[in-house]
Amino acid sequence: MTNATDTGLGGLPPVEPFRPSLRERMSGWAFYIPIVFMVLFFALPMALTVVFSVFERTMFWMEPGFTLQAYENFFFSARLENFLASMGYSLISVAVSFCIGFPIAVFVRKSVPQAAQHRVVLLFILPFMVSEIIRIFALRPVLQRNGLVNETLTSLGLIDEPITALIYTHTGVIIGEVLSFMPFIVFAGFLAMEAVPKFIFEVCDDLGAGPVRRFTDVILPLAAPGIFAGAVFIFVNGIGVALIPNILGGPGAVNAGLIATQAISALDFPLAMAVSAIMMATLMGLLYVGHRLFDLTKILAPMN
Amino acid sequence: MNANTPAVQVRQLCKNYGSVQALKGVDLSIAAGEYFVLLGPSGGGKTTLLRTIGGFHKPSSGQVWLNGQEVSHLPPDKRPTSMVFQAYALFPHMTVLGNVGYGLSLAKLPKAEVRDKSVAMLEMVGLSGYENRRPHELSGGQQQRVQLARALVLGRNILLLDEPLAALDAQLRKDMCLELKHLQEKVGITFIHVTHNQEEAMTVADRIALIADGELVEQGAARDIYRTPERRFTASFVGENNLLSGTVAAVEGDTVTVQVCGQALAVDRRDLPVRSGETVALSIRSELVEMVPAEGAAPADGRSLAGTYTESVYLGLTLSHRVALADGTEMVARIVGESDTPEPPAGAAVRVQWKPGALRLHVN
Repeated sequence: MTNATDTGLGGLPPVEPFRPSLRERMSGWAFYIPIVFMVLFFALPMALTVVFSVFERTMFWMEPGFTLQAYENFFFSARLENFLASMGYSLISVAVSFCIGFPIAVFVRKSVPQAAQHRVVLLFILPFMVSEIIRIFALRPVLQRNGLVNETLTSLGLIDEPITALIYTHTGVIIGEVLSFMPFIVFAGFLAMEAVPKFIFEVCDDLGAGPVRRFTDVILPLAAPGIFAGAVFIFVNGIGVALIPNILGGPGAVNAGLIATQAISALDFPLAMAVSAIMMATLMGLLYVGHRLFDLTKILAPMN
Repeated sequence: MNANTPAVQVRQLCKNYGSVQALKGVDLSIAAGEYFVLLGPSGGGKTTLLRTIGGFHKPSSGQVWLNGQEVSHLPPDKRPTSMVFQAYALFPHMTVLGNVGYGLSLAKLPKAEVRDKSVAMLEMVGLSGYENRRPHELSGGQQQRVQLARALVLGRNILLLDEPLAALDAQLRKDMCLELKHLQEKVGITFIHVTHNQEEAMTVADRIALIADGELVEQGAARDIYRTPERRFTASFVGENNLLSGTVAAVEGDTVTVQVCGQALAVDRRDLPVRSGETVALSIRSELVEMVPAEGAAPADGRSLAGTYTESVYLGLTLSHRVALADGTEMVARIVGESDTPEPPAGAAVRVQWKPGALRLHVN
């Protein structure tokens, strides 16, 4: 048995058991910070949204109680119709964004020199340096009746009458959404293309896979989780961001976000909460389905 | 197609990237059924040559003929070639069987036939039982076998391998080399293999072509390239050669006398066009050089040089003695096997000598 006072060989001090410092002992708990953050600032407010949605409405606020009046108000009015329509139009925005954005992402990955790729992607971040409200509002002089698009087309003699459907309609909202959110498909697609191995396009050349087969058999399956993530992001914003239909929409061309905002303006807080709760439930359902289909954890680790 | 038609004929092939000339007029002929290796340093143009043969690059000028047909305008899938890439070239979302069969299903073969052919090919490369694995579940060596199967199953008769073993560790690379060689003998088609690894090249090749700086430097059987390099570059790249430079003092019949460090060396002329006063290169393999103590006068046979012993490097299989010549040129005398002769002290005067015919002359 060695005893604790043994000075060991050559008079070296005895080896003491390793004692982690306070900082090291605390560091284990640091891993819980994200959970605390998410509970405090996401889960709790979301839960409160559901709770508030069944409260009784008062003149300027609401009081505890249980009533489904807000839901009744939502489901048995034009709001439901508008909500469903906004989901449909969001899907169109997603589809248009995908058709424009994903080819850009593939192109950047495939054809732009490696060193320049990140710079090209950075270009798509530039619009976000400008406040969204300015960006959307700046579309008005472009899309309106005597705006840039109509003036140009008239001057070129391509149209006789200005196209009025470009703004204050669903079309206007879709244009705004595509211009605002399409970069997210570029980012998501760009990241998703990391899952595509280096020599795969040359293998396709060698095996004789044409552009269509290449897209459906190789690119799409590999990039699916990333594409889905980008699509969900655009869909969520499409039905949730009130700003775009507020500026570019018109009668009937609203989305869930705008319905909630209008409810808040009308001081009907339970209704606003109910709309939010419904929106949230819809999206959670969507994410669940997406996760089951594509395993969304793959977005961050595409090769595994 | 005639049985003697070369599988690959490359004529005056040039490839420019902007102002960089990756290939400078390469001429090459590869016989059907040959295992041909393009060997050379990185950036020398060997991969560019392979990819141009495969149709992945368009030549800037020149022609590629495969099986007696001019194919310069054809895309890769319309050529009788298929390619094995360095690594990371499997479809990660498909099973091993799916990867191998993909090319055949693109060719619209019936499903059962695709399956049978793929299974047979996987057996050929030693991957039976791995059909339903995914690429990420395989080792690097297994992934390369899947690539081999995927390329061979197409039934094209020229297989291009672009540094296929570069991503593998040394031991696995050695094993895979032999397997590649045996596989080629079994399937009997032409293999063209690009590598910068000399040992890999010599293991597999029927013939080796040295490619450097966009040019075909020299080609021949591994044995010839190693033993009797024609060009100075070959001597410097293959094996462990001592390179000397000197001035031609006299040319008498078949013997050339070259002044190196003030000493006259005799070397076979090999019908090379040399003139007195010309600067030439000499090469000699280090294992043909013997180091002896400098006792007495040097024999006047033109087969030895005086120098100073500097150090020895023991590598197990070989022991290398390093000797510095008067002008600072370092020569290596390599002994294969064990030697019990004690090494001289550093700085001792020694002599390096060799047998007749060991020294080779190179002119530019």
